[in-house]
Amino acid sequence: MSLWRDIKGTLQPFWITLCKMLSRPVTVQYPEQKQQMTPRYRGRLMLTRDPDGQERCVACHLCSAACPVDCISMQATEAEDGRRYAAWFRINFTRCIFCGLCTEACPTLAIQVTGEFELAGRDPLKLVWEKEDLLVDHGGHDPDYNFYRQAGIAVAAPRGANPTESPPVDPKGLLP
Amino acid sequence: MPTLTIDNQQVTVPDGNTVFEAAEQLGIVVPHFCYHHALGAVGACRMCAVTVVEGSMPGMKMSCMTPAEEGMVVETGTAQAEGFREHVGEWLMTNHPHDCPVCDEGGECQLQEMTIASGHGLRNYRGNKRTYQNQDLGPYVAQEMNRCIQCYRCVRTYQDYCGGRDFGAMGSRQRVFFGRFRDGMLESDFSGNIVDVCPTGVLTDKTFRFKTRLWDLEQAPSICPHCSLGCATVPGGRYRELQRVVSGVNLQTNGHFICDRGRFGSGYVNHPARPRHARAGGSRVSVTDAVDSLLRRISETVSQHGPEAVAMVGSGRASLEANLLLRQWAAELNCPPPVFELHPRRARAIRQTVGTLSDHLASLRQVRKSDLVVVFGADPLAEAPMLALALRQVVRAGGRVVVLDPRPVELPCEFEHHPLTQEKILCLLAGNCEKELFNRLLQDLMAARRPVLVGGGDLLGGVGLQLLGHLTESCDNDDRYCLVHPLLPQANSFGAGLLEGPEQTDLLERLESGRVRALICLESDPCSEHPEAGRMQLAISRLDYLAVFDYLPTHATKRADLLLPTTTPVEGDGVFINNEGRMQAFARVLQPGVPLAVTGQGNHPPREFVPATPGCHPRPAWQLLQQVLGDERTLHGLRQAAAEHESRLEGLSDLQPGGEGLRVMPSSQAPVEESTVEIWSQDGDLRLLPVQVRYGSDHASCLSDKLTPRMTGPQLIVHPQEAEKRQLKAGETVLLKTAQGTFRFPLACDERVVRGRVIVPCLPGTPLEILVPGGLSLPCEIEGEAP
Ligand code: SF4
Ligand code: SF4
Ligand code: SF4
Ligand code: SF4
Ligand code: FES
Repeated sequence: MSLWRDIKGTLQPFWITLCKMLSRPVTVQYPEQKQQMTPRYRGRLMLTRDPDGQERCVACHLCSAACPVDCISMQATEAEDGRRYAAWFRINFTRCIFCGLCTEACPTLAIQVTGEFELAGRDPLKLVWEKEDLLVDHGGHDPDYNFYRQAGIAVAAPRGANPTESPPVDPKGLLP
Repeated sequence: MPTLTIDNQQVTVPDGNTVFEAAEQLGIVVPHFCYHHALGAVGACRMCAVTVVEGSMPGMKMSCMTPAEEGMVVETGTAQAEGFREHVGEWLMTNHPHDCPVCDEGGECQLQEMTIASGHGLRNYRGNKRTYQNQDLGPYVAQEMNRCIQCYRCVRTYQDYCGGRDFGAMGSRQRVFFGRFRDGMLESDFSGNIVDVCPTGVLTDKTFRFKTRLWDLEQAPSICPHCSLGCATVPGGRYRELQRVVSGVNLQTNGHFICDRGRFGSGYVNHPARPRHARAGGSRVSVTDAVDSLLRRISETVSQHGPEAVAMVGSGRASLEANLLLRQWAAELNCPPPVFELHPRRARAIRQTVGTLSDHLASLRQVRKSDLVVVFGADPLAEAPMLALALRQVVRAGGRVVVLDPRPVELPCEFEHHPLTQEKILCLLAGNCEKELFNRLLQDLMAARRPVLVGGGDLLGGVGLQLLGHLTESCDNDDRYCLVHPLLPQANSFGAGLLEGPEQTDLLERLESGRVRALICLESDPCSEHPEAGRMQLAISRLDYLAVFDYLPTHATKRADLLLPTTTPVEGDGVFINNEGRMQAFARVLQPGVPLAVTGQGNHPPREFVPATPGCHPRPAWQLLQQVLGDERTLHGLRQAAAEHESRLEGLSDLQPGGEGLRVMPSSQAPVEESTVEIWSQDGDLRLLPVQVRYGSDHASCLSDKLTPRMTGPQLIVHPQEAEKRQLKAGETVLLKTAQGTFRFPLACDERVVRGRVIVPCLPGTPLEILVPGGLSLPCEIEGEAP
């Protein structure tokens, strides 16, 4: 009984090899031939823009808090119109493990994954990306979302003019 | 002392405690908003619901409003209470703007925490959200009213606790608004506290706006260095920059709050002119080389001119450990013991506090609990701001505050002000004049149940504090002591005074005699701390060798032949002893270094790698002195040795940063009697009284740019009749003629100033810095500018 199994075990691999030799190969000739990654592939990160073309990132530090390897750092600042944004934003891709936890933490959908994975190089400093390198000019996977139009803070619209808001009250009014 | 059961755990609490406090004692935190330790409970938010299973009134109750009863059984997790709390959470969130990502409170937001704790998740209400227009509350507090949950904590803090009048609740119904009547800077000197108490992001620190989230902040318990009260603080910083200071909790000292000077006066840590490199003879050297050259020069001086030729100056700014090591060094060199306070009159005031008064000292908590406080020669808001808040609590509880002071004293409460000159106050304490007032005060003090005397060290001096000591003793009775709360010049003045040996001749005289060839200054600046600043500068320029250990840019660091940069209290560990003799440890918050915002030019951090942090050379003064002495003990070992050697420092080695601290043992020596009673009356002529002001008088806060909006420029204050007599008007620029020189300043008039005195603020960094407070009033004359 065990002899029969041994014979089968010896011959079967040869049979499979023979079959595969005659079918079409699945190998992609990378790098001559580029692969199209699936949309949910977790590659290099980017910072997207909202539908108005403004930077989405509000430098809330949630991605850097979620990042298990601490490779995101930033400094928040305020624009004339009260918009909070990143004065600088840095991702150290030599440390990033492409886990995508930052994108899950991001409340403004600013930080998103791209399909790009070709990051190898000889100079580690080239893998330290600043905000200018990370910013793209589109909305990524969610082109329609605009945080400043949802939150009750007057940046994209005047106070009380966002959807689901009433106009500002008059605290000095005497009417009941 | 009822014993009750909460969630199957038994606890015994003091009478009058609520169920909420009892639960807290067990470590059970019932969700809450309107309850705050310092403000008490008002039962407004309805968040703290629990179920009383057994008790005189069973059912669902607000735990913060329900007194603990004997045998009570309480459940915090019943379906009824939890369901109620979830609803309350949901109601509070109906109008919330949901803008946590751009809210500075995020990460330390009680609303976030309590919403999670209440179990509320999805907003069911579909109506529109209420919105508000924001106000500009000045440079310190940012307002974003849409986030308000109407808990009234801000108003209870600002108006009730701190006595501010320009911020309150307005409107009715859905429109209740918390702010000022008009835009403008909050006037209270305690305005920053509303940032700490607001459980949401409505009121946030504008100077910290968008700087850092709590989880990125480096924080540690520390002690405020801006006056002698030693309030507990928690400074926080990131990227080598000290970014904010919030109040720590020490029920014995500040309680839960701090003043704006302590909160916004920390800019000196980031100051660009701070000494960052060791320097010897004008060129940068390494710390090791600097220490070697210091040792060489000092041993040369000792061998050539004898140990008498080396003088050392400690300070009330340096930590206890550093001062101890300096004294040890002096002993090893056999040179005269260090001077720990350069101002001779201030030194005598400290000596009296440390000696005679040490068994009668009152903590700030005891001041708050007092029923009669008599303030002799002190302006609390200028010399010890949190004392003013303590006095307010006295008045709120039905007590009385009496102030005897020549200045236009302001307090956030009602009080009785007797404008008396410095000399009159001393004379009154000696029982020689103003007898009627004195007898009345004496009677009231005898009758009071918990009387406290506050003595301003600067105005009273050693003699005055000694007389104050006699007064307390005569007001003691069998049931209670009459306590004293003296005010000292610096955060560690008490600690420095504790190490002081027998009184020496004034350092200035020793310098001028030419016997001293080398001077070593530990975090002190003789040129701006000694009352004879001009003579001192001259004497110092004639020295052979000046070695300075300091973290502030001072006259001494500029002239130093050898400069060793030290760390600020937030960059090192140490112990300060506050005005009531409480030893308190502080811990390191940040590593020293030039803030990233400076090195990265604000753009982004530099893109090159350097092995050493820029500007990282400063080291704690005690470490540098250890290097000088070849001492390798740890900080704990150092403290242990000090406690063994100095019986009054018992328990020093057990101190923990953030704790309540420990009182030093009272002095066992016979009281120091001072012979020279500096009392005389100078009625008729005009005399000058340099005083501390609220902002910019201490050496650290004058370097803090955050305080600029609060600083009043130099001005002279006189009684309107004095101005009239000289045909001068308020607001005009006048000439002030003194022995120290002639100055031109605007004149202000105030009815509350005593007649015959010109009050002038001491402002380091301005020409007025040579008028050092702490002395007696000086002859002067004011006249109009020649047309
Ligand atoms: S993908 Fe992961 S490792 Fe990379 S930046 Fe995001 S959280 Fe950090
Ligand atoms: S989580 Fe999103 S919005 Fe927040 S800092 Fe990161 S990228 Fe910016
Ligand atoms: S107050 Fe709290 S819950 Fe409200 S936006 Fe700010 S962080 Fe979020
Ligand atoms: S401003 Fe803050 S403290 Fe004041 S009522 Fe609103 S939430 Fe409470
Ligand atoms: S904490 Fe009890 S009702 Fe607000």
